[in-house]
Amino acid sequence: MNNLAPLTPEALDEYVSAIELPRRQKESGLDCDVVFRHGAYVGSVIRVYPSLDRAMDKARQHIASQEEKKLSVANGTLILASSLHLSKGRFSRSWHAPLGGLWGCLILADTFLPAFRQLLPLIPGIACCEVLRQEGGSTASIRWVNDVLLHGKKQAGFLIEGFRSPVYGENYHLLGFGLNLNNNSFPTDLQDSAVSFSQFLGHSVDISAFALSFLAKLRWSIGLLLFEEERWLARNGGGVYDEEHLLLRRWKELSDTVGKRVVFGYDVLQHPQYEAVVGAIANDGALILNHDDGTTSTEHSGEIRYL
Amino acid sequence: MSDEIDFDEILGKYHSDPYEYVDICAEHTGKIHFLVEEGSTVQAVSGEWNHIPGTPLFEITRERNPKKITAITNGVVSSLHSELEGRFVEAGEKLMVIRHPLKKKEIIECILKEVLYVFPAPERAKYFFSLDVQSRIEKKGARAVSVKPGDEIIIMSLMKRDTPVYYNGEKGVIHSVYFQPGVSVDQGAPLIGVCPSDRLPLIQKIITRVKADWDKNEEHSV
Repeated sequence: MNNLAPLTPEALDEYVSAIELPRRQKESGLDCDVVFRHGAYVGSVIRVYPSLDRAMDKARQHIASQEEKKLSVANGTLILASSLHLSKGRFSRSWHAPLGGLWGCLILADTFLPAFRQLLPLIPGIACCEVLRQEGGSTASIRWVNDVLLHGKKQAGFLIEGFRSPVYGENYHLLGFGLNLNNNSFPTDLQDSAVSFSQFLGHSVDISAFALSFLAKLRWSIGLLLFEEERWLARNGGGVYDEEHLLLRRWKELSDTVGKRVVFGYDVLQHPQYEAVVGAIANDGALILNHDDGTTSTEHSGEIRYL
Repeated sequence: MSDEIDFDEILGKYHSDPYEYVDICAEHTGKIHFLVEEGSTVQAVSGEWNHIPGTPLFEITRERNPKKITAITNGVVSSLHSELEGRFVEAGEKLMVIRHPLKKKEIIECILKEVLYVFPAPERAKYFFSLDVQSRIEKKGARAVSVKPGDEIIIMSLMKRDTPVYYNGEKGVIHSVYFQPGVSVDQGAPLIGVCPSDRLPLIQKIITRVKADWDKNEEHSV
């Protein structure tokens, strides 16, 4: 079993105060205390399991059972497991989640305004890529929307699924994450496309230390999303949000997608649709693709592979 | 929805004016510069991936950020608020109307949208039937699939965020499907049209009548 025992809300609070907050204060000109206060609910409850079928399913069960007991669900609850038996990616693609990786699900109540909610999928990729770069993976990059790559191979994948609670009808975002850390063997069909961080580094990774850093960065980015939301409301209070969000700016710093020739498709492995060059990322996070005939298209949903 | 439909009135309306009038409004505040005139013919967005933009209609500039807005439907600019040229407008202000000529299929859809419960897209995104609904459609066809309020019928996919969409209209069967998997749907655009199963014969009657009437009319006009 992975040693996930040190991952407690108290340990996360301490890590944020002692390490992440001073780092952010040094790097950003923002009021970092306020940003972290906005994101403080992330990891307010951490439930660790030796193994699960799927963390997303466990999150759904947790929400349902809390409501059946007439209890509310703590926003920011984290479900972590040392291994998953029935894990899957999007489109029921296989996702290998044995011992050695970081697997879990973050429960987020849908308290975001629509324009800001749209940027939510950028967050886990940013958080993961930041830890990798900090810990020796200086070439880590994000492929739109949130695949994290090390030397072109996928080190981490994320998906967000909506869920309406069965009793109170509250909407949640279930942010599922799978990070390959010390798990060094992959099924044959994933060997060419997946990589673990320890394979990249050539030595093993302290999973709980990596996880604390990842969760602290999730706190920061979710805090930043809400911090900007508050600032925008104070400035404007309505209308269309069409600015480059600080999160998007950070995503662009960490991504190598713009300028790449790609194949695009909603399910790009099964149904590739067309090839184009990524011209830019729109302020709402959409992909702007330049076609060979000089025209452009904007895609808000789908996935790409680099050519 | 009434069981009694005045076919002659509905068909007469479309015969005398077989057009849809599409209002073109400012998407956000900004200064307007028109790129068409009243009477201009405009082309819709086209291409296999809808990647060839339609005719540029106007440019809207806010904070030195000009944005060219293009036509998504073909037709003729039937009216244009030329007095707004060079002026600052509010979001939602009507700028022009495009008169779009309707085809037979579009007329049937227009009529059906008046008599079906049309369930709209909550956000601009790509939409898919939920696994359960999709498997029932594959087995029996959409018109054999019944939906009721609270059912998870569709998955909205936006930037790798998949959100279930719950049906909130009247109970019935899925008569019309307006979206294609993998193709973006604008916010508010119809996703499905639902009708109570006991009214399906009436809907079928409308379709048959419109087709027959239109074909007859086209023969006469040849």
